[in-house]
Amino acid sequence: MTIEYGVGIGWRPDIAGYVDRLPGLRFAEVVAESVPPEGELPDGLARLRERGVTVIPHGTRLSLGGAEPVDPARVAHFAAVARQLDAPLVSEHIAFVRAGGVEAGHLLPIPRTREAVDAVVANVRRTREELDVPIALEPIAALFDWPDDELDEGAFLTEILERTEALLLLDVANVYANALNRGTDPAALFDRLPLERIAYCHVAGGSATPDGIYHDTHTDAVPPEVLELVAELCGRHRPPALMLERDGDYPPAAELTAELDAIAAASGYPRVTP
Amino acid sequence: MTGSLADRQAALVAALTSGAPLPGGFDPRLVEAARVALLRKRAGEVARNWPELAGACGREWFEVWSAWAATRPTRGSLRDGWDLARDLRARGELPAAAGAELAVREATLTYDGSAPPRPRRRPALRTVAGAWVLQAGGRVRVLRRPAA
Repeated sequence: MTIEYGVGIGWRPDIAGYVDRLPGLRFAEVVAESVPPEGELPDGLARLRERGVTVIPHGTRLSLGGAEPVDPARVAHFAAVARQLDAPLVSEHIAFVRAGGVEAGHLLPIPRTREAVDAVVANVRRTREELDVPIALEPIAALFDWPDDELDEGAFLTEILERTEALLLLDVANVYANALNRGTDPAALFDRLPLERIAYCHVAGGSATPDGIYHDTHTDAVPPEVLELVAELCGRHRPPALMLERDGDYPPAAELTAELDAIAAASGYPRVTP
Repeated sequence: MTGSLADRQAALVAALTSGAPLPGGFDPRLVEAARVALLRKRAGEVARNWPELAGACGREWFEVWSAWAATRPTRGSLRDGWDLARDLRARGELPAAAGAELAVREATLTYDGSAPPRPRRRPALRTVAGAWVLQAGGRVRVLRRPAA
């Protein structure tokens, strides 16, 4: 993605009316599994496409980090949705969501081992065979690590990106959450990643539980520390797009507008709000 | 921990979703935090699909939900809520305010508890916790809804 799209938002049916009324919007993302592979698009999405907004399908259920090969039916759906949206790229996670036929119900971390890197690389290759466009891979927020990690996060992610030739979807809130929970410096990871490979960024909110663990909830406000990290990242290498990712407990429009404007301010991109 | 990546991933998923013991080497406190976060996420998804069930449970919703879901991996929020509602009904614990919602689902879809639900072709009358629901030709009428 060489075009600069600026500030975007994750499209969800619950906020479709709000997203419709963002005059400057050029970029949005939709959960791939929620889009029909053929026929009519949901109303709000069709209107976005009609006014020229680029819409990226964001997969959540492929389980690219699973030891088992990706399910061809899921890959076919993912590829069909990308064509349906005429998307210039797609995205998925470096994570697994099922194993041994059991659904985890969430994105789970994979061990940072050579064996796990091989599994991801093989699954990304299987997925790309069906895709007409590039894929961007997103490192997740993980509450725990595996006991047998061989690589640090920077080396692990860089090796996956190099071997898959994939782009990077960097979730700044995930970087923040992982660093906070591990007691490390979030900006230090920026030094270890190929920032020029960032296709776009997620920016999301979270909250800490009483036990001091920070949860990347997507249902809370974006903390100021995450916005500072956005500014830090953009100071080093500004990604072509950054989007607000909200997945529930939707606040009033004014609050969404304030968050979008804050991302614009932190990144130096123009506002997209009315 | 030893074994193939597939086995180790399966063991971790079983610990998070089925109450299986946590494989060695993980930080139990952090994995427990992830397990509870996962239950909360599922509770929210099921509540969106089964608003009357979650609403009828009120403040106890997460407790009711997690007591049931802690050892049951998700089969999607429609079926999770359905299985829980049937389980509560079988124990005589389904709140009356959640009866009509279950009766509507029972009247419109056929679900044997193992295969995914499918639309019913024939008319059906279902009574659950004092609620009466009639479905004919895909149209649904709640004939009786007990006061909450």
